Amino acid sequence: MRKKELKLVVTFHTTAEAMALEKAAKERSLLGRMIPVPRELSSGCGISWTSPLELREELLSLMEELQIEKDEIHEIMV
Amino acid sequence: MSVANSKWKLLVIGAICGLIAVCLAIFGNPANMAFCIACFIRDTAGALGLHQAEVVQYARPETIGLVIGAFLISFATKEYKSTGGSSPMIRFILGFCMMVGALIFLGCPLRMILRMSAGDLTAWIALIGFILGIGTGVIFLKGGFSLGRAYETSKLSGMVISLLSLAILLLAVGTNLLKQSTAGPGSMHAPIIMSLIGGLLFGALAQKARICFAGSIRDVILLRNFDLLSAVVGLFVVMLIYNLASGNFALGMNTPGIIAHSEHLWNILGMYVVGLAAVLAGGCPLRQLILAGQGSNDSAVTVLGMLIGAAICHNFGLASSGTSVNPETKELIKGAVTTNGKVACIICIVVLLVIAFVSKRQTKAASN
Repeated sequence: MRKKELKLVVTFHTTAEAMALEKAAKERSLLGRMIPVPRELSSGCGISWTSPLELREELLSLMEELQIEKDEIHEIMV
Repeated sequence: MSVANSKWKLLVIGAICGLIAVCLAIFGNPANMAFCIACFIRDTAGALGLHQAEVVQYARPETIGLVIGAFLISFATKEYKSTGGSSPMIRFILGFCMMVGALIFLGCPLRMILRMSAGDLTAWIALIGFILGIGTGVIFLKGGFSLGRAYETSKLSGMVISLLSLAILLLAVGTNLLKQSTAGPGSMHAPIIMSLIGGLLFGALAQKARICFAGSIRDVILLRNFDLLSAVVGLFVVMLIYNLASGNFALGMNTPGIIAHSEHLWNILGMYVVGLAAVLAGGCPLRQLILAGQGSNDSAVTVLGMLIGAAICHNFGLASSGTSVNPETKELIKGAVTTNGKVACIICIVVLLVIAFVSKRQTKAASN
């Protein structure tokens, strides 16, 4: 079982946006993974992306570059 | 807020949902159909006169309770949000296809689990199709499948499905306008108040725990995450214990009286359709009712697709028949899938694959 840590969690309006970010992050070797949207963030059952806190700026610029539309970005224990 | 964020809590919530199903079975619902979204929407379609199959007409308070229960809990916890605009008519088709697949198999994923817990091997075989359907959906998700995002709409719009459900309930208890079966599965039901309370509780719990039979397997395949599956396991275990204790457990196929058939290929393909459609729509039939209750207009349209799909299934002879015993000769009459049902199932698979192929994520630049 993974130990919970404070991390970035990016939520999206559609699953496809999460998939697009995963693909781009893998291509650029950015640390992170897809997880179900944490229950405390949403009653929806979509998919979110989690990364270490220090990758915030890199993730934001990557999403802007590739026009990946996020919903919100949070810092929570996951 | 975080009442449902660990595997154990989800397991317990699933178990409570199982207990609700047990109570409904004890008090009159068909044993392995204690809670079935497809069957209950089909029965409600019959009660409204949308189809004329006399043995499956009854406005099931459980489905009404599910929607209103999800609405009330989401409203109380400030999670109610009216949204819409994510390809609603495609979602109508997805709901329609889900119902065709479910009525070929004879049950939604929830009933599949109930049948599995009663030893029905045909349901275990159908599970293969359900997993394959979800797996196919996951491949398309990975390939960029998207129906587009939903936007916030007027608060009232998201409440319409709950108000319509309430209207059906009022018609059922206050008038004799609705049809009601006097024989067959539609005549077997728990008292209205018990069904309604069961539905409300189930709906509220399913909203908190985000119970989804398709989503749970999708998460395992796509994310290696077993959280949502915990609730399904809890429900299965409680029903298994109940079936073993009550003597309802009968391991085998062609068991008369359980409203199932042994045409394995079509059980697999029927649930394949349900699994694929559910992943594309973002939730199984149960989840669609819950999302509709908490304000999703898109899910409400999917529910309407299921309602019309149920009516068409019976009007056009697409629904399968269950294995039974001739009361006079005591001969076993094997349940069967109709030719129309087989054709419809193939058409649904083709339609779903076309939808999955053509609905791709679009960036702002591409859509301008």
